[in-house]
Amino acid sequence: MLKCREVVDEADQFLSDDLPRHRQWRFRFHLLICKHCSRYVHQFQALKDATSFMHRKASDEEISRIMDSIDD
Amino acid sequence: MTDKDQLPALKAGNKTQFSILVRDHHHALVALAIPIVGFSEAEEVVQIAWIKAYKAIASFEGKSKIRTWLSRIVINEAKMQLRARKKETLFSDLAGDGSDSDALADRFTQTGHWATPPATWHYDSPEALLMSDDLAQCLDRILTAMPNNQRAILEMRDSSELPFGEICNNLSISASNARVLLHRARAHLFKLVDHYQETGEC
Repeated sequence: MLKCREVVDEADQFLSDDLPRHRQWRFRFHLLICKHCSRYVHQFQALKDATSFMHRKASDEEISRIMDSIDD
Repeated sequence: MTDKDQLPALKAGNKTQFSILVRDHHHALVALAIPIVGFSEAEEVVQIAWIKAYKAIASFEGKSKIRTWLSRIVINEAKMQLRARKKETLFSDLAGDGSDSDALADRFTQTGHWATPPATWHYDSPEALLMSDDLAQCLDRILTAMPNNQRAILEMRDSSELPFGEICNNLSISASNARVLLHRARAHLFKLVDHYQETGEC
């Protein structure tokens, strides 16, 4: 029986479809019976999707500086 | 606007469109350069990379995302800067798995079950999840405090979306080592967002 701790450790491989088949079934079964892990995996995927948006947009001054250096 | 929508104008040398690219990706590229060349040199490396990107964008075929393409230029420029300054590459510091432990380790009982399960998060979209002003400051703090090797992999994989094998080559580390580092980096972020979602503070 998979432990919740192992679900957290294997979540990335599961979401990347990178787990061997028997471990994938074990993982899926655990998600069916454990609402905490189901929530974790769902939110972990959301966090992965969000990471490419975590950096702020550049300010007008920063953009001008870069564009000026391109013009030089 | 998607990469595909932007590309024709970018390839035609449209500077207004290029400035939008700078607006959207500059901070991510600086964040990518920091763990490689250090904070003080990252801006300069990225500035040079932007000049090279502008000259090269006409030949960009659109086979990867623009962010990924720009990231490759930044990483190459960072490596060149390190070589030019005859520095032992910071990449060598990035190879070890470090002594940092898993940020979520204390959320489990000794038997491996949740002691403190994750909170239920509320967000409208992935873009919105990390965009609150309060959280952004905490995020900066977490990223700054993160071991160099973890931050490098997080930026390369989750922000720049470089292929896993390419990251391992760049950092000269094994896939298993890279997975451990990425797992630890994401655990730091998960813990931060989870706490913020639950308490409104970080």
